[in-house]
Amino acid sequence: MRIRNNNVSAGKIGLLVVLLLVGLTVLGCIGVKSTPEGGSGGTVADGTIFLAPTIKQSGGFGCTPPAVDGKLVALSAADGTRFWEVPLEGSRSGGGFGCAQTAAPAAIYGSPAVAGELVYAGGYNGKIYAINTSSGAVRWVYPREGTLEPIIGGVVVAMDRVYFGCSDGKVYALDAATGDKQWEFAIGDKTWATPAVSGDMLYIGCFDKKFYALSAIDGSKQWDFETEGAIASTPLVYNDMVYIGSFDRYFYALDAASGSLKWKFPAERWFWTKAVADNGTIYAGCFDGKVYALGAENGQELAAVDLGSAVYSWPVLVDGRVIVATEKGEIYAIDTAANQETLLADIEEAIYAPLCAEGGVIYVYSQEQNLYALNADSGARLWNLTIK
Amino acid sequence: MGIGDIWNLIAIQPMINTLIVLTSYLFNNFGVAIIVLTLAVNGVMYPLTMKQVRASKAMQDLQPKIAELQKKYAKDKAKLAKEQMQLFKESGVSPAGCLLPLLIQMPIWIALFQSIMRVLAVIPENLVGLSDYLYSWPIVFSTLPLENNFLWLNLATGDIFLALLVGGTMWVQQKMVMSPTADPKQQTQSSMMLWMMPIMFAWLTMTFPSGLAIFWVTSNIFRIGMQYFIGGWGGLVKSEPKKPTGRDKKYKERIAQVEEFPSLGADIVVPGSTQEEGSSYEESGDKRPDRGGGYTKSIRSTKRQPRRGRGHRRKRG
Repeated sequence: MRIRNNNVSAGKIGLLVVLLLVGLTVLGCIGVKSTPEGGSGGTVADGTIFLAPTIKQSGGFGCTPPAVDGKLVALSAADGTRFWEVPLEGSRSGGGFGCAQTAAPAAIYGSPAVAGELVYAGGYNGKIYAINTSSGAVRWVYPREGTLEPIIGGVVVAMDRVYFGCSDGKVYALDAATGDKQWEFAIGDKTWATPAVSGDMLYIGCFDKKFYALSAIDGSKQWDFETEGAIASTPLVYNDMVYIGSFDRYFYALDAASGSLKWKFPAERWFWTKAVADNGTIYAGCFDGKVYALGAENGQELAAVDLGSAVYSWPVLVDGRVIVATEKGEIYAIDTAANQETLLADIEEAIYAPLCAEGGVIYVYSQEQNLYALNADSGARLWNLTIK
Repeated sequence: MGIGDIWNLIAIQPMINTLIVLTSYLFNNFGVAIIVLTLAVNGVMYPLTMKQVRASKAMQDLQPKIAELQKKYAKDKAKLAKEQMQLFKESGVSPAGCLLPLLIQMPIWIALFQSIMRVLAVIPENLVGLSDYLYSWPIVFSTLPLENNFLWLNLATGDIFLALLVGGTMWVQQKMVMSPTADPKQQTQSSMMLWMMPIMFAWLTMTFPSGLAIFWVTSNIFRIGMQYFIGGWGGLVKSEPKKPTGRDKKYKERIAQVEEFPSLGADIVVPGSTQEEGSSYEESGDKRPDRGGGYTKSIRSTKRQPRRGRGHRRKRG
């Protein structure tokens, strides 16, 4: 044994190198997520919150545990009592050893949309689900066979149709009652954005740096507008104008009918979230940690409210106040009269999901899969639940 | 500022932004950008890699002598250590010389590895996270997100052909540096190394994004080229294990002398070391296993030490 202790052999050095390489390869993965975890927010309708959490599976050896399934949950908005839940099955993973997922999980990013007796949600697994709001029974699934590419943006229901954009570079319109495809339109690249429908026009941003206006009736292109960066944010249609932020760090105001540029506003980083409007002012959250208050007509900067952390989640407007959450988990109320912010709550968990509000209560779903119900005036926590 | 922040600032951020800018200039082709950056990083680290390869090769060449010493001094650990150190000293080989350059290179490889993973940004969480690493250059913002398609590959998912390519190129590279040996123990170790690493990396490639596999394949091909430059096809060409040469016999005689007269211990002349390298192959009739230039400067420049006692000098007349 003594002999071995002194043996500085190439084999041993080689073995050490292998161990180093493998160890460091695994280390190299740290901090890089590759399993979609979803970022769906809640949607409130008639006292019920519809939420689409991701079911995180354990047991993965790689960078993050593989998440392969999602589900849609209906809860009481008053106290979080669970009415029903329905699994949204994903394709099964091959094991999740490494950083790459071998099959598409059913993580949900876009918030569910409610219309009539159905609630709709689109998943990373490339499926759209229509589910009865009362019973949780699945009415239809699109496509019935196979899957589309991942659907990251949310769905919009208007004119008895369900509209959504897909990573396959197409915008789809389905019959809301049956799930039958009404039309599809190929845009230049994949889209992760949620569309907006106003009148008979549908607006959606795309990774090809263009912003498209399509006929909501037949999908024909009405106009497009090119920016210098990809567009992942959801447009806001307000007073015949359409407002959209881009990865080129500009916030654009376009004429809704023609697509002509009215003004653009530069920020320091990306715009991803949807803006809200109140009384002639547009509030646009940015990854630079600021919410910009801009004149809707001319783009004049009225205020830049610095919240100190990126704004990814969609804000909501409650009683003349813009409620906005930061990535760090702080929830602020910006008084639209004075453009002054007040810290309502700090849940200390990352917030990517869109906020929703009803009856003076804000609902916040964190990346830690906790749903918080907060008083919109005081920020007091009314209840919270872990929804997995 | 924590270690993570410093790491991001000095390693990850520059690498990520370079990758994005390269992609922009290389026709928005991320696959080509990975290849170019991998080659560039390999080029920058060429001197270090060369040093490591040469040190490893020199160390391998010493293995028969080390085995000899171990056999001779099996019962005297202190003496063995002393003789080994002397052997390393006289050969100009440092055991640390194999590992040190590798350790220096490791952070750079990890940075490149992590950067590729981050820039791929196939899911929203990654794209959001990527925004934290971007410089405020307009070209960076206008290039993202990157196109994941390259040749037949989706760079974000694993690919079996690339896995085979990673394993195959790694095997070739390993085989090239492998010296034939008659020692069964060493043969077993070498054989294990030859297969274990390629299989492991091929397996990893199946589950990691193809972007990383392109990085591995490019690195492997670069190193194969470098190995060829240093030592020809090396172990890829079938050759018999080295038989003891005339020099080795003399070496054994010297060990015997040291055993008999311990004071001679420091004067062992290492056959195959540069002191007598120039003549050893010719004398033994063996072919030199490489294409020349194979040993480090330190080995080549080892000065001939004055010898005591019965030497190798020929008597005149």
